[in-house]
Amino acid sequence: MTDERLRRIIRRREFTVLGLIVVLIVFFSLTTERFMSVSNLSNLLLQLAGTAISAIGMTMVIITGGIDVSVGSTLGMASVVAGKFLMGGYSPLLVLFAAIGVGLLIGLFNGALIAWGNIPPIIVTLGMMSILRSLMYQLLGGRWISGIPPAIRVIGLGKWLGVPISMWVTILLIAFFTYFLSSRPLGRAVYAVGNNPEAARISGIDLKRTLLFVYAVLGALAGFAGLVYVARTGIVQTNTGSGFELEVIAAVVLGGTSILGGRGTVIGSLLGAFLVGIIKNGMVLLNVPALSEGLVIGVLIILSVMIDVIRARGERV
Amino acid sequence: MEYLLECRNIAKSFGGVQALKGVDFTLRPGEVHALVGENGAGKSTLIKIISGALLPDRGEIFYMGQPVRIDSPRKAQEIGISTVYQEPLVYGELSVLENIFLGREIRTPWGNIDWRKEEEKARFLFASLGLPHHFLREPMGELSVGLQQLVLIAKALVYEAKVIIFDEPTAILTEHETERLFNIIHKLRERGVGIIYISHRLEEIFRIADRVTVMRDGEVKGEFPIGAIDRAKIVELMAGKLLVEEIARKRFRGDKPLLSVRGLTKRPRFFDISFDLFPGEILGFFGLVGSGRTDVAQSLFGLLPPEAGEVVFNGSKVRFSSPEEAMSAGVAYLPEDRKVQGLFPIQSVAYNISVTVLRELVRRLGIVDTRKERDLAEKHVRELNIKTPNLRTRVYSLSGGNQQKVVLAKWLSVTPKLLILDEPTRGIDVASKSEIHNLIAQLADQGLGVMVISSELPEILKMSDRVIVMHEGRITGIFEGSEKTAENIIRAATGERMVVSGGVRA
Amino acid sequence: MKQIIDQIVENRVLFLLVLFVILFVIFAASVRGFFTFYNLTNMTQYGVELGLLALAEMLVILSGGGGIDLSVGSMLTIVAMIIGVLIGRVGVYPSLAILLGLCAGVGMGYLNGVLVSYTKILPFIVTLASLYIYKSLALIIAVDPRFGPNPMPVSNFPESFYFVGQYRIGGIPFQVLCIFIPVVLLLYLLLEKSVFGRYLYGVGSNERAALFSGINVERVRVTVYTLSGLLSALSGWIITSRIASARPDIGTGYELQAITIAVLGGVSIKGGEGKIGGVVLGIAIITLLYNGMQLAGIHQIWQLGSLGVVLVGSVLLNQMLLARRKI
Repeated sequence: MTDERLRRIIRRREFTVLGLIVVLIVFFSLTTERFMSVSNLSNLLLQLAGTAISAIGMTMVIITGGIDVSVGSTLGMASVVAGKFLMGGYSPLLVLFAAIGVGLLIGLFNGALIAWGNIPPIIVTLGMMSILRSLMYQLLGGRWISGIPPAIRVIGLGKWLGVPISMWVTILLIAFFTYFLSSRPLGRAVYAVGNNPEAARISGIDLKRTLLFVYAVLGALAGFAGLVYVARTGIVQTNTGSGFELEVIAAVVLGGTSILGGRGTVIGSLLGAFLVGIIKNGMVLLNVPALSEGLVIGVLIILSVMIDVIRARGERV
Repeated sequence: MEYLLECRNIAKSFGGVQALKGVDFTLRPGEVHALVGENGAGKSTLIKIISGALLPDRGEIFYMGQPVRIDSPRKAQEIGISTVYQEPLVYGELSVLENIFLGREIRTPWGNIDWRKEEEKARFLFASLGLPHHFLREPMGELSVGLQQLVLIAKALVYEAKVIIFDEPTAILTEHETERLFNIIHKLRERGVGIIYISHRLEEIFRIADRVTVMRDGEVKGEFPIGAIDRAKIVELMAGKLLVEEIARKRFRGDKPLLSVRGLTKRPRFFDISFDLFPGEILGFFGLVGSGRTDVAQSLFGLLPPEAGEVVFNGSKVRFSSPEEAMSAGVAYLPEDRKVQGLFPIQSVAYNISVTVLRELVRRLGIVDTRKERDLAEKHVRELNIKTPNLRTRVYSLSGGNQQKVVLAKWLSVTPKLLILDEPTRGIDVASKSEIHNLIAQLADQGLGVMVISSELPEILKMSDRVIVMHEGRITGIFEGSEKTAENIIRAATGERMVVSGGVRA
Repeated sequence: MKQIIDQIVENRVLFLLVLFVILFVIFAASVRGFFTFYNLTNMTQYGVELGLLALAEMLVILSGGGGIDLSVGSMLTIVAMIIGVLIGRVGVYPSLAILLGLCAGVGMGYLNGVLVSYTKILPFIVTLASLYIYKSLALIIAVDPRFGPNPMPVSNFPESFYFVGQYRIGGIPFQVLCIFIPVVLLLYLLLEKSVFGRYLYGVGSNERAALFSGINVERVRVTVYTLSGLLSALSGWIITSRIASARPDIGTGYELQAITIAVLGGVSIKGGEGKIGGVVLGIAIITLLYNGMQLAGIHQIWQLGSLGVVLVGSVLLNQMLLARRKI
C-alpha cells in the first residue's frame, strides 16, 4: 500500500517538474560559478515572486476550466496605481490596499461578465487586457514613473534570513492556498466545478459564485504582484506586465494543471514558475544568449504535456 | 406507515405522447421492488419523476407518509432518495472519498474539511457493506464502472438514503461485479432501505426482488410478489398482445448474399458473429444496450476494427479501416445518437443532407456546384417529407422526427448498397416514425440490404424479415417466419440460448 | 421594426455592417480629413497585416476542438527575420528569400497542425509552446555575429523590395489590391464554395458526426493550421516591406489582437460558426476605428482600448438581445 502511494507521488507532474529542477540546479552549479552564489539565488527568487503569486490565482481559474489573459495588464494597472499613490506620498499601507483593490475590482468585473454575462473567459479577458492597456497609458500620460520612495521598496528588495521578503510572502500565500484548495469546502468546489459542472450543481454548489470568486482572487493577487513589481524595479511604464500573462500560464501548465479543468495544484504552479525562472537565470549565466530561452520553455511545455498524453492514452489533456 | 414511497395516479406526457397514463407504485422499507418492461413502457419516465429530474403532469407522491414535491435531483437527494445510474455521474479527477462527501462535508470546528473523520466514516460504511476500502484516496476515474457504482451507493448512505433506485445497474458489469452488487443490495435491504430495481435481465429479478411490477405502454400491467409469478408470465405481460402492424412489402430477395459475416470478433464487445444479409432483405438486430449490436454495426462501417473473422461484401472480401472506405464501397451507417454522431446541428438542412456526397457534386477544382447541392437536398426534402421552412434552416430548430429524416437523407444521398440503421426512430413522434418505416420498406424493395438495429420490439417485429438477437456480445437467436415472435425474441435477449434457425453456422 | 432588429441579431454580418456604417458616418461628419480619397485608400494598408492574421485565426477557430493559434505573431516575426537576413545579410535574391520565408511559414503551421491533430494536445497548449519556440528562433536568426551576440534588426533592402508594402496602383496600396483582396476572394471560395470548406464547418460544428460522415478530421485540422502559417508568413513579408525593416520583436502581441478581430467578426469560439464576410467587416471596423481616432488626435494606445470595448460590448449585446428574444 505504501508502494502504491509512492508510485502515485512519482507519477504526479509535480514530481517530474521537481526532478527537472533538481537536475537543472545541479547542472548549472557545476557549469557556472555564479549560479549557487547568494546574490544570484536571491536575485532569482526576487524575479520569481511576481510570477508565482499570480500563478496561484491562475491555477484556480484554470482548474475551473477558464483562462485569464488579462493578468499581465492587471499587474500593469495595479503598478500604475501603486506608483501614482507612492509618488503622491501616501502611506505604504494605503498603497498596498489600493494595488490589491484595483486588481480585485478588475477580477470581479471579469468574473461577473463570465458568470452572469455568459461570455467565454478568453473573450472577456482579451477585451479587458486591451482596455487596461489604454487606461494605463491615459493614467501615465505617456511618461514613466521612476524614483519610487525607498520605504516601499523593502517589499521588493528587502530580505529576511537572506530570503527576499516578497518570497516569504509568496511562500505564505502558497501555503494558505494549498490549505484552502485542499481543506476548505469552497476550495474543493473550485475543483468540482471544473471537473463536472452538472454533478456540482446537483451537489448544491453555486457555479456562478465560484467563478466570480476565482477571477476575483486572481485579480487581487495580480494586483499585489503589481505592487511587488514596482517595489522591485522602481519603475512603471505603459508596457509594464505585457507578455506576463503567457509566462504565468506557461508556469501553471508546466506545473500539471489541466487546461480542461478539474486538476492542478498551486505547488505545481510554484514549481512551474521555478523551472521557468531557473532556466532563464541559468542560461544567462551560461552565456547562452537569452534568445533561446523561449525555445527551451516551449519545448518543455510540449514535452511535459506529451508525457501526460502518453499516460492518459488518447484522452485530451 | 406501511409504505416508504407511494406514487398515486402519476401521469406525464411529452408533446402529445402519453408516457405515463396514471401509474401507481409503492415501495416498502427493506424491500427490493423490481420494475420491468420493454423500452418505451414508461419505466424511465417514472424513475425520472421519483428522482426529481421530471415533474409529473398529474398525480401525487407520498414519502414516509407525507405528500412531497420533488422538483430537482438535489431535493430528492436531500430527502433521502438516491439514484445509481448505469453510467455514474462522478468527478473523475477527485478522490473516491471526495466523491462521497462533496456537498456534505464533515467539518472541523474551524470549518475545514475533516478528512480523517470522513475517511473513518467511509471505512465504516464500506466495511459494513463488506467492501474493500483501500482505494478511498484514489481518483474516482481510475476505478472500474462497477466500483464507481458501489461508491455511489455509499454516497447514498451518507445522505441517509431511505430509497435507492438502481437503473439497469448490471448492464455493463462483469459477473463478479454483479455478484458483489447483489450482496450489497441484500445488506441494504437488511438495513431497511427500500430499493427500486430496474433490469431487463429476468434471471436477476428472480434472484433479488421481493416484488415485481410489469409496465407496458405507460401503464402498470401487473404487480406480484416474486413467488407468485414465473418467467413466462412476465414475458407474456411485457410482450402483451403486441399489435404488430403489417407493412406492405414486395419481399423481393436476391439469392446471393450482399453481406456475409463469419466469426467476427472484437473482445470484449462481441464474439463469433456470423450471418448473411441478402439484397432486398431487412434484417432486424435486437438486444439490450450493451449487447454488442451497435459495436457489430460500427465494425462493419470501419469505426471499430475487428480482431478476427471475415466480411465479404458485394462479392469481395473487405476490411474497412475508416468510414471513408466503407462509404466508398457502398455502406451507409445511421448512428444511434442523432445529436452527437449524426447531425451538424448548427449547419443548414442542405448542408446536412449533402455533406456525405460533396465530392460527387464538384464542378471543378473542388468547388461545389451549389445548384446540384440544392437540387439534391430539395429532392430528399420532398421525398422524405421533411418539414422545414427552407433549405437554409439550421437543423437544430427542426423537430426530432424531421431531424432524424435529415440524417436518413444524408445517408440515402450516397445511394448505398447496404444501409445500417441504428435506432432509426428513437425519440421521434408517431407520424414521422411510420413514415420512416414505410421508407425503409421501400428501400428494401428497391434491392438494398438493410440492417435495422432497435430496442423496440414492435418496430423489430414490424420491419424485419429476419431477426437476429444478441446478448452479451453473442448471437443468441435468429428467427424468421412463425418463430419470429415477441416471446422468442425476449427470451433470447434476456440470455436464454435459443435454437438458432434459418441462420448460418460458421 | 422588431423584425429588422431580429434580423440584425440573428445575422452577425448585418450587425457588423450597421456598426461599420454608423462609425463611418460619425467619423466622416466629425473628423477633418477623414472623408478624403487619400485617407480612405491610405488607411487600408494598415489593416492588411493584422487582417491576414485575423483570417488565419478565423480558419483555425472554425475547425473547433478548442482551435486557436497563439503563434501567429511569432510566425510573422520569424518570417520577417528570415526574409530580412537572407536579403540584407546573406544577399539572396529578394524573390527567392520571400519564397523561402513563405515556405518556412507553411512548415511551422504544418508542425502546429500535426501536433494538434495527432498528439491530442490541446491547440491552446501547442501554440503557446510554439509561440515561445518560434519567437526564440526569430531572435536567434536576428543575431549578426559581426556585431556581437545581440539580435539586430535588418534594414538594408534593395529598392525593389519595398514595392509590395509601399507602392500604389491607381491610388490603392499594392498589398491591398494584389494580396489582401485576392486572399479574401480565395478564402471566400474555399469556405463558401469548396468541398474543403464544407468539411471544415462540419469538423468544427461536430467532430463526432464528421467522423461518422466519412470526413478525415485530422487532415482538415492539419490543413487549417498550415494555412494559418502561410497567412502569417504573408503578413510578415508585407510588414517588412512597408516599414522597410525586419525587427525581431515585430509581431509581439499581434496574436491576441488577431483573435479579437476574428471573434468580433462573429467566429464562434466553439468552432463551426462564422462567415468570412463578418471577419472582413471586423477588420474594416477596426481599421476605421484606428484611423479615425488617429486623425481625431487620440493617441494610438486607445486603439487597443477601443478594440477591447468593441469586442466585449458586441458579444455582450448579442448575448443580451438573444436572451431577450428567447423569452
